[in-house]
Amino acid sequence: MKPYRNEAWLLMLPAAAVMAFVGVIPLVAVFNYSLHDIFSLQDVHWVGVEWYEEIITSSRFHASLGRSLLFSAVILLVQVPLGIGIALLLRGAGRWAVVVLMLVALPLVVPWNMIAMMWLGLIDPQTGIVGQALAAAGIGFDWKFTALHTWVLLVVMDTWHWIGLVVILAYAGLSGISPDYYRAAAIDGASRVAVFRFIELPKIAGPLGIVLLLRFVDSFMIYTEAFAINAGGPDMATHFLAIDLGEEIKGFSYGSAAARSMVYFLIVITVVWAFVRISGLSRQEERR
Amino acid sequence: MKGVILRVAVFAAVAAFILLPLAQTFLLSFMSTLPREGMVEGEWSLINYRNIAADPALTGSIVNSMIYVVLNVVLCIGAGLPAAYALSRYRFVGDRHFLFLLLAFRVTPPVVLSLPIFILFANAGLVNTPVGIALVHCLFNLPIAIWILESFISAIPKEFDETAFIDGHSLPSFLLRHLVPAIAPGIGVAAFFCFIFSWVEVVFARILTVTAGKPITMAINALFGFQTDIGLVMAMTVVSLLPGLGMIWFVRNHIARGFVMRA
Repeated sequence: MKPYRNEAWLLMLPAAAVMAFVGVIPLVAVFNYSLHDIFSLQDVHWVGVEWYEEIITSSRFHASLGRSLLFSAVILLVQVPLGIGIALLLRGAGRWAVVVLMLVALPLVVPWNMIAMMWLGLIDPQTGIVGQALAAAGIGFDWKFTALHTWVLLVVMDTWHWIGLVVILAYAGLSGISPDYYRAAAIDGASRVAVFRFIELPKIAGPLGIVLLLRFVDSFMIYTEAFAINAGGPDMATHFLAIDLGEEIKGFSYGSAAARSMVYFLIVITVVWAFVRISGLSRQEERR
Repeated sequence: MKGVILRVAVFAAVAAFILLPLAQTFLLSFMSTLPREGMVEGEWSLINYRNIAADPALTGSIVNSMIYVVLNVVLCIGAGLPAAYALSRYRFVGDRHFLFLLLAFRVTPPVVLSLPIFILFANAGLVNTPVGIALVHCLFNLPIAIWILESFISAIPKEFDETAFIDGHSLPSFLLRHLVPAIAPGIGVAAFFCFIFSWVEVVFARILTVTAGKPITMAINALFGFQTDIGLVMAMTVVSLLPGLGMIWFVRNHIARGFVMRA
């Protein structure tokens, strides 16, 4: 049991002040903009919820939302099992575990705008290692004009970028399991599947929740990489939610962009809220 | 034996997958990729790295990035440590709401807040300075710092604090002299994640540097033009990886521990 002390807020002040300045104030500002038609900062008209109505009823928004949801679903289905698999193999790999962890962490330190560039260079049929290999094998990889190929490229690239996070967090959960559990399971003659289901999965559930949340939100709002690859093309096939928003900001349509921001924020917040509910803020509760 | 073979095969595949794009970048960075006098295109050379060193805009951008990233790490640890201590040791009004707020802002896409942040920071005179970027990166890094530090502090028994207070330490002196050394690996891991997330971030770094203080990522973007020197771009990318590589090496033995959550 932790003591109940409101004086602890004094310790929270610096962090709370920073979060208020960079988070809460801008968010309130976005909400305010979203209710106005903004020609310039001097020329602002109240329009109420018109922007919201326009966005929510537009078929373009529905299409982008569908694409973003599909992309997130594919990303989670690919990266989470793959990451857990690698993490399971890492357990008991001794000193090699550290080497592999360092390796998968590498893409995490690449600046985001460089990632698309590196991959485009890699698959270039003339100069890229993979591009040349594909061309030699007679496989036409047409990421510029074939929607499926653009998607494949995005998913592979995103997996390259983020698999490290999944592996690191899953491994963190696994390394907290005492060897006694495995010994007990061996004595009971438990199958590998049973060991995973009843020993490993509960232990990595916490970090895995964080992974699911972070990977969902980041892939759902993918912008920098997707835009650099094909600017939403071909024929809108990779036109995700964040790209819509980026276009509106670039087009100086601030009121509408703000309303769109609020819609996205509400979607994200709903997911976070559901996540917190499902995990029941359980860690907090149990500790008390 | 079967397990060993499987492991080796999987690790080799992972290594190949991860290293392939990096290898391409690395090789190109040592090639002369533009027609130059006395040089064949594709010739091995250090010219790209020499060009970086000779260009003040490029070297300056490296310095800019380093400044705001280090500043961001200092801010996040400085503000995060007391908050993490409070969250770890006490209950108080709104503590759970604060945690929810942290989570919410950590996952809020930067592009959603980019517009008002630009206007707010322009009014506060924080555009074109590393301070502005360092501050705005706290939006997603401060929550991470608080989570990681909180989990490390909670792993230390409360008696540790009480002994120090009985010895006559005040709270600040306890935090600095006792707690910081005790959770040094945690601070390292938190610093690592703050460092890399700030280093790789592009959206805020772009909008907050209009005329000056360009970070390394924007300096690389600026290299694209009518006749792009891909070799130079790749060399700059390699340079942009070095601090991250250093950080990975630095926390290699603790990297996974930052997230060991007591379920």
